[in-house]
Amino acid sequence: MSDDISEHPDRPQRGQVLFAALFLICATLLIAALGSQTKWLDGKDFFAQPRFWPAIGVGGMVLFTALHFWHLPRKPRRLPRWMREADWLQWAESLFWGVLALALSLWLGPIKAAPYVFLVATIRVTWLYQHWTDRREAKVWASVVEWAGWFLAYVLLVPIIGYLPVTVAFTLLLTWRVGYRDRIMMISAVLFAIAVVLVFKSFLQVKIPGSALYEYLPGALRSFFILNF
Amino acid sequence: MDLIFDFLAQVQASSNYLARWDVVLALLVGSVGGVIIGAIPGVGPAVAIAILLPATFSMDPIVGLTVLLGIYGSSMYGGSIPAILINTPGTAVNALTTYDGFPMTTRGEARRALSLAYSSSFFGGIFSVMCLIFFAPVLAKVAPMFGSREIFLAALLGIILVVTAHRKHSLIAAAMACFGIWLNTIGLHSASYSKRYTFDQSWLSGGVNLIVVVLGLFALSQAFTLLHGDDEKVRLTKLKGSFFQGFRELARHPRIAGVSAGFGVIMGMIPGVGEFTAQFMSYTYAQKSSKRPEDFGHGSSEGLIAAETANNAVPAAAMVPLLALGIPGEALTAMMLSVFYVHNVIPGPQLFQNDMDFVVALYLALLILNVLVVIFLLVATNQLIKVVKIPNRFLGVCILILSFVGVYSLRNSFTDCILAASFGIFGFIMKRMQLPVVPIVLGMVLGGIMEVKLRSAMARVKTPLDFIDRPIAAILFTMIILVLMLHFRRVWLDHTERKTDEWQTSHASTSFAAILSRRRTFILTERGKKVRGKRKTFSRRLTDRR
Repeated sequence: MSDDISEHPDRPQRGQVLFAALFLICATLLIAALGSQTKWLDGKDFFAQPRFWPAIGVGGMVLFTALHFWHLPRKPRRLPRWMREADWLQWAESLFWGVLALALSLWLGPIKAAPYVFLVATIRVTWLYQHWTDRREAKVWASVVEWAGWFLAYVLLVPIIGYLPVTVAFTLLLTWRVGYRDRIMMISAVLFAIAVVLVFKSFLQVKIPGSALYEYLPGALRSFFILNF
Repeated sequence: MDLIFDFLAQVQASSNYLARWDVVLALLVGSVGGVIIGAIPGVGPAVAIAILLPATFSMDPIVGLTVLLGIYGSSMYGGSIPAILINTPGTAVNALTTYDGFPMTTRGEARRALSLAYSSSFFGGIFSVMCLIFFAPVLAKVAPMFGSREIFLAALLGIILVVTAHRKHSLIAAAMACFGIWLNTIGLHSASYSKRYTFDQSWLSGGVNLIVVVLGLFALSQAFTLLHGDDEKVRLTKLKGSFFQGFRELARHPRIAGVSAGFGVIMGMIPGVGEFTAQFMSYTYAQKSSKRPEDFGHGSSEGLIAAETANNAVPAAAMVPLLALGIPGEALTAMMLSVFYVHNVIPGPQLFQNDMDFVVALYLALLILNVLVVIFLLVATNQLIKVVKIPNRFLGVCILILSFVGVYSLRNSFTDCILAASFGIFGFIMKRMQLPVVPIVLGMVLGGIMEVKLRSAMARVKTPLDFIDRPIAAILFTMIILVLMLHFRRVWLDHTERKTDEWQTSHASTSFAAILSRRRTFILTERGKKVRGKRKTFSRRLTDRR
């Protein structure tokens, strides 16, 4: 285990432990599900088994992420003073984890329990080496969900309102949302939206469904809009 | 002599593929579009190819591939413009161009630097295509020697090289490659019709689509990164005069240009290696063999030639493992592989044997692309540099809107969009952490190839040694062992060096701390002496009262 932050000076340190831990937890859960989510077929070759390649994948994920996690430079979390000074708490904690691991082994059997014990250990180590910069970084990650939400809302509205109007509206709204207020940017946004629709839908005929709203347009205009916009 | 006649006959036959209006249009769109995309920092060919990929499915394979190849091949030309003018590489592979390009701009030689970059790129591109055209008959003879086990070993070598190429991130790169392999296994196993990791969800039965992952990891993540960041103020240098002088200057450095292009071709052909290694090797070679190595990094024309020639020689060479073996060596060629599959054209030895005209047509298209790009750049650079001024967050909006076309037009599926958005967030996190995402894509593609090829290869293998009893398999196996040994040796050397540094650092800091401690004690003692002296002067000691 490395405590030297200067070991990887070229990489930002914030969030590394948290990312590695989350990825390791997911990988461990996946390896725990290997038995139930894949099959071992009798009479088939070892390399032709449906379980072989998923095992290589999740096994590699767990192994390499654990090694990466181990090699990450990190500092122990600064616990409150009463926690640092309470010896009984450390004893009680060690006992708790020990009993939990034993209970899991007895309940599931040692082989099946191994991933869960490893998972618990990972969560424990992650908690111990958490730093406030990791939590601040996690907030940045969460802030991106807003842009993903915009994207998904756009996807949901296109089949209802139509590709052209939704694209123009979303480009304008997003341009405004990211902080541009001047007329040039707004006109550029509208022109860009129209160009995208014309190139992809009208010219390249990319497979985007016509909207439900276009159904209300009169005769020839209706099919024209469904086909081109 | 026969070889030349054969080659000319093949060129004539393959010209049928190219003498069509839609291919000509694709050539123009690919070359001009690629340069513009490359010139905008923050977009890059991966984003553009990911977005355009589904749109090319409705085109003929030659048309679709020409557009994508055009973007791939010409984006690096465009990427050198912001690298030289504003010290920001347009594409990731232009990073080395900034070392010598921008110092030239700061001393008022922007036009010379750009002109050199264009001519070097042109030389690299043409050299690479010419090499491949002349080697195509040889490749056609070698490719059929690749059976299942050779293709499996080549794919394994590719994945190992991708992992080991990420020198300081090799562990997480390996984890990501395994993540890609696992993603590829989700869904129905075609050989046994059993479900794998579907968690009884119907939308997972069909598996995870490569294009959805690619769009999320490259396009959406880039959009999120740009939307989350700030705009940068750009101050451009005015350019006057022609750009032809670079060709004359390049002619004065034939050795560096030739060797760098050679590195580009060789590194491009090896799966998983690519532009960065080619550039690094050619730049190191140029510096070591230069009469003025101290100029490198401070505006050396030789450094600029080495970097630009090497990176532009790679795209054509990278098509070799893709076309001859069906093994993509990097993310961009992995995306192109899906265009082949959609049109039921299976790249591999059979393609070289049965449809050599198609392969030569692709190379000729690359040749024409390079010519078109240089003509465009020589004429339109002054207008083109204005695209550098597009604000970052507005670019983010544009990429987000364009990503919709890529994801939704695939199957009109909202689930695909949710998956792409999730991979977009994952890619954004990886970018912030500066962790590699390319191994995920290559893990998905090469994992699928390895699974199929290993299954068919093992059916004819009785003992483990049978697997490498053919010459090419034995060579590939030896290469794998060599690469691993070299990697572990390098890791061990890095570890030893780091430990030595640590020991020296701790020793020095201990000494420094000791000096500080002694100084502190000295100052305190001196101060104590002074204070005690004053007390002695102004007040009598307690003992004196007695």
